[in-house]
Parts: sequence; structure tokens; C-alpha cells
Amino acid sequence: MTSHDLRATNLTLGYASTDIVSDLDVTIPDGRITVIVGANACGKSTLLRGLARLLRPRGGEVLLDGTSVQDMRSIDVAKVLGLLPQTPVAPDGITVGDLVGRGRYPHQGWFRRWSAEDDRAVAAALEATGTADLVDRQIAELSGGQRQRVWVAMALAQDTDLLLLDEPTTYLDINHQVELLDLLTDLNRASAKTVVIVLHDLNLACRYADHIIAMKQGAIVAEGSPREVVTAAVVTDVFGLACEVVPDPVSGTPMVVPRGRHHAAREVVEALA
Amino acid sequence: MTPALDVLDADVVRSGRRAQRRRSAVVTSVLALVVLGLCVLTLMIGSYAVPAPDVIASLLRLKDDAPTDFVVRDLRLPTVATGLGVGIALGVAGVVFQKLLGNPLASPDFVGVSSGASVLAVSSIVLLDAGSTVVSGSALAGAVLTAALIYVLAWRDGISGYRFVLIGIGVSQFMLAIIGYIVARADVYEAREAMTWLVGTVGQAGTGELRTLLVALVVLVPTALLLERPLRALELGDDAATALGSRVEVSRLALLALSIVLIGLSVAVAGPIMFVALIAGPIAQRLTGPGGSLLAAGLVGAVIVLGADLVAQHLVPAPLPTGVVTGIVGAPYLIWLLATVNREGRGG
Amino acid sequence: MTVLDRPTQRAEASPRERSRAALAAGLVLVAGILLVVCFFSITLGSRGVGVPTIWRAFADYDPDDASQTVIRELRVPRTLIGLFAGAALGVSGVILQGVTRNPLADPGIMGINAGAATCIVFAIMVLGAQDVSTYVWFAFLGAGLATVSVYGIASLGREGATPVKLALAGAAVTAILTSVTSAIVMTNVEALNELRFWQVGSLAGRYFPVFWQVVPFLAIGLVVALGAGRALNGLALGEDLALALGQRVRLTRLVMFATVAVLCGAATAACGPIVFLGLIVPHLARMLSGPDHRWLLAYAVLLTPSVLLAADIVGRVAASPGELQVGVVLGVLGAPAFIGLVRYRNLSEL
Repeated sequence: MTSHDLRATNLTLGYASTDIVSDLDVTIPDGRITVIVGANACGKSTLLRGLARLLRPRGGEVLLDGTSVQDMRSIDVAKVLGLLPQTPVAPDGITVGDLVGRGRYPHQGWFRRWSAEDDRAVAAALEATGTADLVDRQIAELSGGQRQRVWVAMALAQDTDLLLLDEPTTYLDINHQVELLDLLTDLNRASAKTVVIVLHDLNLACRYADHIIAMKQGAIVAEGSPREVVTAAVVTDVFGLACEVVPDPVSGTPMVVPRGRHHAAREVVEALA
Repeated sequence: MTPALDVLDADVVRSGRRAQRRRSAVVTSVLALVVLGLCVLTLMIGSYAVPAPDVIASLLRLKDDAPTDFVVRDLRLPTVATGLGVGIALGVAGVVFQKLLGNPLASPDFVGVSSGASVLAVSSIVLLDAGSTVVSGSALAGAVLTAALIYVLAWRDGISGYRFVLIGIGVSQFMLAIIGYIVARADVYEAREAMTWLVGTVGQAGTGELRTLLVALVVLVPTALLLERPLRALELGDDAATALGSRVEVSRLALLALSIVLIGLSVAVAGPIMFVALIAGPIAQRLTGPGGSLLAAGLVGAVIVLGADLVAQHLVPAPLPTGVVTGIVGAPYLIWLLATVNREGRGG
Repeated sequence: MTVLDRPTQRAEASPRERSRAALAAGLVLVAGILLVVCFFSITLGSRGVGVPTIWRAFADYDPDDASQTVIRELRVPRTLIGLFAGAALGVSGVILQGVTRNPLADPGIMGINAGAATCIVFAIMVLGAQDVSTYVWFAFLGAGLATVSVYGIASLGREGATPVKLALAGAAVTAILTSVTSAIVMTNVEALNELRFWQVGSLAGRYFPVFWQVVPFLAIGLVVALGAGRALNGLALGEDLALALGQRVRLTRLVMFATVAVLCGAATAACGPIVFLGLIVPHLARMLSGPDHRWLLAYAVLLTPSVLLAADIVGRVAASPGELQVGVVLGVLGAPAFIGLVRYRNLSEL
């Protein structure tokens, strides 16, 4: 796996009349798992879409190995950088094998249509996501968890060194969320694939991230290892949530425990002591 | 990623893909044979029946038999060529629309392209008392202009299939109001001509526009088959298609333009024949299996139009326009399609 | 589609609570507008007339005075039919948008008018029905069948009757009905000749007999509809919540659809299929009245006929000495409004 450099400088992104992300600088650590967190509408998905060239910057640029992604041929970017969007569309009546095969698009051309290499990549992607036995099933028949794994398989079949995922755990049960994040970790550990994930759940983010980027109102508030970033002060700032941060009993990573207004047990215990 | 984890697995993938391709090839060949059969049948029957061997002999110019040649080549061949051309054009254009707009119901029939073509064509019939060349040219211009209008109106940070469909329906209502007005102020004879034209029929083609359609098909159908690759990426949604390295706007514009020209030309030749563009794609997909193919959809379109014309000309007491038959046959299928599509949550 | 994953920008703040007094005053104003429009509808035209002539036409009718005859036999019935048909279509639009909770629901878009039209053509051409009072029953049947089938088809599936599904189901059913109509008409030149005038949607040539034949149905429908405000307010919260609040959702919906069928059927029988009116005017009315359906219905009843009659006047004046049918005027003016609605409004919410 070759190393890559994905960064944004002075990046401004937006839709219609509003800027969502303004004048932002960020460098994605190579070969690590980066998780972007933040409250709703803080611009985290927008940033991811900008990094994946789905949005044309209004200012600044996104650089992949030193070249602006807007200047590169889209298909060349697609050989290095893959993205699983939030709401991909499964065409009518398509089978798992066919869908995963479409991830091979950037490696094929007008004349070079399908090769043994493509078959191998599809098979490996199915294998890695545990969807090999679904290969002839239709997408419409699958459960939400299976479907999400199939989409990940499609992104894997693209065989890129960088993989960006926009809220891949939405609509998944907690067990499937953990399963999916474990899978992404496996891929990162096995081949040093750079993974960037937009995630809602802070505790899962802490557990799986090597590097966390916390965003608020289109700007980066803090970034670094989970231990550095996820402190009670930052969480209160980013989410407006009063909380305690304790060590996760399983992984030792930070774990956020919200306070709320009705559960002041600690004070009670301390007062009694 | 480490390739070739499991050789057996790659074999499974390969054999699955090959089986699918084989099925698709077999279905396409069978469809081609059926189309051929329908063409021959159309050339055979009528008030002067010609047996099949004679039809083939006449077509291949194997022997000279003036009356047979006249009936087969001069009287019936144009109808067959029209049915074939219009069917293929509608089938291919319809399936491209459905896949691009991500909705099996988004056929050019409903989203305003056909009605735009009709407005100009009917105006030229009624207001200019035009001949068939002008009528056809107007139809083509109408389709292109309307589609451009819808495209511009639906553009807002890009095109969403959902906005395209809704605005197309609005534009379509607008066009229908104008058609209604034109037909109401015409005299009876012109109104009748316009109404017949509006239903759509294979038998009314002029040789000039027929030739244009056939030439266009020779160029556009291979182009469409080449563009099938980006279409397969576009089907996954704009974000996924971009992520896969497809140039979304360029490919979409090319595909839309191609199918709009096909629709315009076929409306120019035969009028807006209902439902063919809508049902050819889904039927083809059912036959070829998941994925479907543009070629199969085009052939299904040809089967529908040729078959409907045979029924309209020979199986009913008085000959009817082809569009009446496709309308009546298409309607139940459409209702069924609406129901299943919505039940499966693909209706938008 | 891409629209979904953006932060929803719903600029419109929740409409300010309008005081009852302001709402009532607005209603009086709208009623005033309607009166003015009615006046012009009677006086304007290729033959201009003044108030005294109108008065004399009824108080002291002189059959030899052409102006008085025009008023008695043409303009007044035309205006009255416009009044009732407009109110019927507007109220139907409000009810459909309320019941389906869908901002694009409209008797035209949903194919309800086309349903009525097809059954009327069938009754006239195939069964030989002669006058309005016979074929109006077929209009009800057609309108009812179209309403139920379009809504039924569109609401299959998890998300219910979304705007796209409803519009496509309407377009599809309209297409089917159109083919049936053309199949009937293609075999008969005379039928075709009649149909082409009728299917444009027009107030012209509708005389008192037509008015008396449809007005009972329209009046009953309007009374039921105007009483439906509270029920619609309940349904506006969504089926689940309405059920939780103790409303009989199915029954309400059934009654509402039946009312729409009667109103649209009778209106279509009287003046042919008219599109966009029932779609656009309720949105206008909602801007004035706010979300309470009781006020909304009252505003729609007064506002829709004003728009219909105004469009009719425009058609008469613009194309004088001929005339542009009101259906054409509304089709041409309504389409931009519809497109604006699709482009700039957040359609997932009503």
C-alpha cells in the first residue's frame, strides 16, 4: 500500500446561498483511522463530501498527493480515493455480485471491460465483508445490516488506499455498528488503508479512532488522539452537553457519560461520604 | 488490500457473472428472432396475403414478381421499418430515462417530453397546415426545447431526479392546456387529423422522416451501448457515481440528449405512441435478469410496437391507430407496475 | 436524492398567530374582491353593459333588448357556474392537500378531473346520455374511482403518498384515461368534435339549465366540506397522531374523498376538466389564513372563484372578439406557479 497525502487548505464549502464550512485547514493522517464528530449540521458530512470532490470548493482547495483533486481526472482520483455516500441508490432488482462489481468502474475502460483481476477484487471484497454467501441475492431482499455491508464491499472492490465513509452506521443496530467498525479496523490493520469516517456516536468514535476531528459550525474545534480531544470541556463546547468523561471499561478509551438534569448521583454519593 | 484471498471464491464470482451474461445474450437473441418474425408476419398479412417464403425472396431480391414486390417492398415495408425504428428508439430512450432519473415510472410519456413534441407538431398541423416533413421537424424541435426547459427549471446545484419528474409533470400539464386550445379552435378536419396524430400510429410516416430516424438509430444506438457503462455508475446515485470516478454531469447530459433525440425522432415519425417507452425497460429487465440491457429494452420496444400494430390493423373490426392498442394493453401493466414499485418503496 | 442530506433550510417561520379579528377582516376583504370580480364577469365582454341594464334585465326584462338577453341568458349563468365550480375545486384542493398531507395534491394533477371526464365521454358516446343531470352521475363515479385509485396506488409502500408518487400515479392514471377516451372518440367524428370543445375546460356556453342541474350537488358538497375544518386539523397531525387523539381516521378520509368526488365530478360536468386551480389557490389561501383548516376552507371558498372568474375575464378580454377558454388560461398561468412550488418549497412538509 503506497502512502498518500490528503489535505485541505483554506477550504470553503457550501450549498446554494450558505457557506457550511469556511476557511478550513485539515490534514488526514496517512494509514490511520480518522473519525469526524460534531453536532447535527456542523458541516462534518459537507467536509467529507468536499474531501471526496463531491462538492466543488468555493474557496481554497483539496490536495491529494500535492495536486488539487478538482484538477485531476475524476477516474484517477477514484483509483486512490473511495467514498461510501450516506444514501447510495441500489438500482432496481440488482444482485449483490453485480452491485459490488460496479465498484470496479474506475479500473475498467471503454475497451478493457472485465478481467480476472476484477473477479479477484470482487471476491476479496465479498470475503472481507462476510457477504460471499449473498452473492446471488437481490439487494431488496437483504436486511439493513447486510445491505450496509454490501455497500462497504462495493467501496472495497474499488480497491483504493483511502476510504471515506459518511455515517456508515446510520440505520444499523448496535451489534451491526460494532461489527462494521471492527471490519474497517481489520482493513486498516491488515493493509494500512487510510479510513475517514463521519460518525454520530462519540463513544464508538473514541474506541475506533486513531485520530478524532471535532467540528462545530463549520470549523474544527479540536483534533488529535481521542484522549486529547474528548474531554468534558470539548464535548460541552461541541455538543452543548454537560457530561463526565470516564475510561471505557473495555478499551480504556474515553467514554462520555451525559449528566442530564435528574441524575446527580455523584453529588449525592459525595455528600453522603 | 491483498488480492486473491480465496481462488475458489473468485471462480464463484466469475461463473455467476458469466451465467448472467449468457442469459442476457440468449434473451437478446431470442428477442431479435421474435422481432424478425413479427416483421415478416407484418409483411405477409393484409388484403393481399403473401406467403413467408415469397416475402423473404422479395426482400432479398431473389426473384422478380412485380405485384408481390410492390405490396411487400413499397406498401408494407415502410410500416415495418417504422414499427421497428420507433420501437427500438422508444425502448432505449425510455430505459435511459428510468435509470437516469432513478424511478421506473419516469418515462418520457409522463415527464413532458412527448407532450412538448406534440404541441409543436399539432400547431404545425392546425396553424400552418403543414406537410409531414414540417410536422416531424416541429416534433423533434418540440421535444428538444421542452427537455431543455425542464432541465433548466429543475437545475439547482445539480439535477435531482425528483425535481426533474415533478417539473416535467407540471410542464406536461402546461403543454396539454395549449394542445387543448389548438385542437378546439381548429376546424373539424384538422382537429381529427391532430387527434389521430396525438394518439400515435405507425402507418402515417413519411419516407423522409423515416429515413432520418433509421439513420439516427444507426448512430445513436451504438452510442447508447457505449454509454451504458457510465449509466451503470449513475444508477447508484450522483455521490456514488462521482466517487467511482464517473463525470456525472457530462455523462448525464449526453445520455439525456441522446434519449431526447430518439424520442423526438420517433414522435416525429409516428406521433406520441403511449406507454412503449414506459414498459419496454421493465419487461426487458424481467427477461434478462437483474441489470437489464439497453439493447434488450430496444428489442422489447420493437416487439410491442410491431405487435400492437398487427392487432390494430388486423384483429379489430376497423383499423385503429397503434397508440390506442398500446394504451389499452399498457394500462393494466402500468397499474400493476405502479402498485409493485410503490410497495417496494422505489416510487420516489 | 441529494436534497435529503442537506440541512433543511426552512426559512418560513411558523405563521404568526393571526387574531380572529384580523382573519375575519381578511375574509370580508376577500369577499369584497369576489363581488368585484363577479361584477366585472357580468359586465365585461365583447358587449359592454352598465349597472342599469343588469338591473333592468331582472327587474323589468325586455326580451327585445339584446344586452338584457346576453346578461340573463349568458353572463349571469356563466358567472354563477364559475362561482360554484371555482369554490368546489378550491375546497377540493384544500381537502386533498389536508387528507393526503401532500402539497401537490390537486384534482387536476391527481387525475380526478380526467376520471370524471372519461366517464362523461363514455356516458355520452357509448350509452347515449343526453343531458347534464344524467351524466353528472357518471362524473361522480369517474371522479370517485380516480381519487381512490390514485391515492390508493400512491400510498402503497412505507413512506405513504409522497409528492412524487402522488404526481406520478396521477399522471399515469390520466394517461390511461386519455387512451380510453381516445379509443372511444377515434371511432366517431361527431363525438370527437364535441369532446374537443368540452375537454379544454371552459365557462362559455353554460346556461341556466346546466347550472340548475349541477348546483344541488355542488351546494351539498360545499356544505359538507365547510364543516370539515376540525376533522382536517386533526388529520394534519398525521394518521397516527390523529388516531391517538381519538379521531375516526378511516371514516373521515372516506367522507372527505366522497365529498371531493362529488365536488370535482359536478364541477367537471359543468365546465370540463380544469387543472392547477385546486392546487395553487389553496396555497394562496394558506398564506392569508394560516394553517387552521376552518379559516383556510372559508378563504378558499371565496378566493378560488375569484381566480377562476378573473382567468375567465382575462380569456375573454385578451382574445377579444374571440375568447381563450378558462382552462387554457389557467393551464398557462398555473404551470409557472406549480414549478415555483416544486423549486422553492420544501415539499416533504405541508
